[in-house]
Amino acid sequence: MSTASPASPASGPVNAPQPAFPTEDSGASRRRLPGDLAVWFFILAELLAFAVFFLSYAFARARDVALFNASQLTLDLNAGAINTLLLVTSSWFVVRAIQAVKRDDKAGGVRWLAAAMLGGFGFLVVKVFEYAAKFDAGITLSTNTFYMFYISLTFFHFMHVILGLVILGVLLANTWRGAYGRDAYHVLESGGAYWHMVDLLWIILFPLVYVMR
Amino acid sequence: MSYYTAANRAWILLLLATGLTWWLGESGMAESASVPAAFLMLGLALVKGVLVIYDFMELRHAPRMWKLLIVGWLAFVLSMIALAYWTGLR
Amino acid sequence: MQYKSQAVATPYFIAAIGLFAGQILFGIVLGLQYVLGDFLFPAIPFNIARMVHTNLLIVWLLFGFMGAAYYMIPEESETELFSPKLAIALFWIFLVAGALTIVGYLAVPYATLAQLTGNDLLATMGREFLEQPLPTKLGIVVVALAFLFNITMTVLKGRKTSISIVMLLGLWGLAVFFLFSFYNPANIVLDKFFWWWVVHLWVEGVWELILGAMLSFVLIKVTGVDREVIEKWLYVIVTMTLISGIIGTGHHFYWIGAPEYWQWWGSIFSALEPIPFFALTVFAFNMVNRRRREHPNKAAVLWALGTGVMSFLGAGVWGFLHTLAPVNYYTHGTQITAAHGHMAFYGAYVMVVLTMISYAMPILRGRAANSNKAQVLEMWSFWLMTVAMVFITLFLTAAGILQVWLQRVSESPLPFMVAQDQISLFYWLREGSGVVFLIGLLCYIASFFVRGEEKTA
Repeated sequence: MSTASPASPASGPVNAPQPAFPTEDSGASRRRLPGDLAVWFFILAELLAFAVFFLSYAFARARDVALFNASQLTLDLNAGAINTLLLVTSSWFVVRAIQAVKRDDKAGGVRWLAAAMLGGFGFLVVKVFEYAAKFDAGITLSTNTFYMFYISLTFFHFMHVILGLVILGVLLANTWRGAYGRDAYHVLESGGAYWHMVDLLWIILFPLVYVMR
Repeated sequence: MSYYTAANRAWILLLLATGLTWWLGESGMAESASVPAAFLMLGLALVKGVLVIYDFMELRHAPRMWKLLIVGWLAFVLSMIALAYWTGLR
Repeated sequence: MQYKSQAVATPYFIAAIGLFAGQILFGIVLGLQYVLGDFLFPAIPFNIARMVHTNLLIVWLLFGFMGAAYYMIPEESETELFSPKLAIALFWIFLVAGALTIVGYLAVPYATLAQLTGNDLLATMGREFLEQPLPTKLGIVVVALAFLFNITMTVLKGRKTSISIVMLLGLWGLAVFFLFSFYNPANIVLDKFFWWWVVHLWVEGVWELILGAMLSFVLIKVTGVDREVIEKWLYVIVTMTLISGIIGTGHHFYWIGAPEYWQWWGSIFSALEPIPFFALTVFAFNMVNRRRREHPNKAAVLWALGTGVMSFLGAGVWGFLHTLAPVNYYTHGTQITAAHGHMAFYGAYVMVVLTMISYAMPILRGRAANSNKAQVLEMWSFWLMTVAMVFITLFLTAAGILQVWLQRVSESPLPFMVAQDQISLFYWLREGSGVVFLIGLLCYIASFFVRGEEKTA
């Protein structure tokens, strides 16, 4: 398993990337926060935003279960499930890309990142078809509370997938240029962490909005 | 390198868990046995979330505070959803 | 100071403090009019005093932001200002235009002023905070564009840092969003939309970027912490501001006739608006704790920390207090709003401008920091003003809660003016705190004239 420790034993501690903010554990112990601390603060804030959204949905649903259940039947379960598969697989590709870069396997890094982006684009395509079907049916934010949440939540998430793809694109270009390697994967891990967050959010969103009745 | 890495294992488990969640909806279990199905799905989401956090985000070996914060977020959100679901049963 | 042209900031800072004093004097008059309705009537009616109080606030903060930009940008860009002459010319134009506007408010009835200044050509007057007559509004646009030209050219010819880019983004946003003030649709819902796109997107959007950039600049200088570290925090603050603040505008759309989903969108996103302010607090304290040097200007460090805390309390906590739609249903437009407005403006924008002035003025006057005696007086003024503001906020909050209760929740709701009579005790207490604030401000001004052993630059 090549998870936390970078590179060969000889260059381990010396070349370990220095976090820009020393964390309380750095130095003394081997526990390490992958990526940049600022990115983690950002992720935390994003998680908080979605938490508020998820819980608003959950409690609004509790007050009108019949309406939510009836409207939920019109959603495309298969599309939601395919999108989950696409995102978790894409996330896994990013992990493989980082592992490749940590072995100084530049070509591997590029390939895995490209595959990850493909997964993200696939997600967007499926979602666009889903939206098109709903909008054709005349559904809007004002149709009812369920659709208000369905459209807002998934669209807010959709925007995060787009941002995640932009980040992956930058990482891909940098990997291509050879900017990352066994001693320099700090930025790659930061971007990866963001993409995994997008995945994590969908893992809650899918059962919550599409399946639970 | 070995194919049995934490990340590969997590990916397989994530696919399986997603399939199971989908099946709960597709088979009508989510409808006919809605309460156990709902709690099962939340449990699956917890497992999937922890897999992503531990093996994809690589927080398994991160400073405890961060691990606790992110896993705590997941547990909090899922348990509040469970609470809301439960209040909606009456 | 490192660059000669930074000196153009001096008159901006002096004008800012002068207008600040004017704002507080009108605040005292206004506070008294809450309990003695015809105080100074008909010379200065309540609506005029209120307008002058809020307009002066905005104008002096703009002076402060511009002064800060003129001070920061050459140092960040490592080059002289593009045109110091233009900066000085704009100063006088803006000051004269501002003064004439205030004279106009005080000398003639508002309707007459509207007639005299061509409001029938293009109706722009009458909206809260944007009451300025057409010529003043046009003047603001011209001054803002020329100012932005000057600053942007300076950045373009020199080093580009994250701080100057965030500052530019904030200032350009400020100018662009002001353009919405020229459009007054007849549809009253649309009218409110455009009004909030100035007011909200200013104070809960682009001004926060200016705030973040100014605070980051001062913190780099007084703590000596690495630029990269400070810039990362700045990025986090900027992103969180934009994520929460832009859609957070929805918390103004609850009851104006907009679609119902705004109650959800507004509640959810504006509930996140405290986050960037919380980050700001953590940021300020974290940087000061990790300082690599002891800057002789202790007062500036105190102001910077104060900005972190008070902006979080005023904008973050007091904003959150009434931002959720079900709560706002009761509190909308009560003294709760006034409480939030006072502490948020003071804690975020007043304090950050004073932080910058406190840091820059001694240097502009040829020394690293003021004498110990002057700094002690300045710190007294910090505590007097800040504690007075805390009390103003607490008294207004109490007044607001009581008002909501009497006027909206109670079984037999009282009419507005009757409810106002019931809460007059809190208005008196607020007025007392206001006087303490004025004393604090006088100490602040006096601290500029205290001499003593000076520390060399």
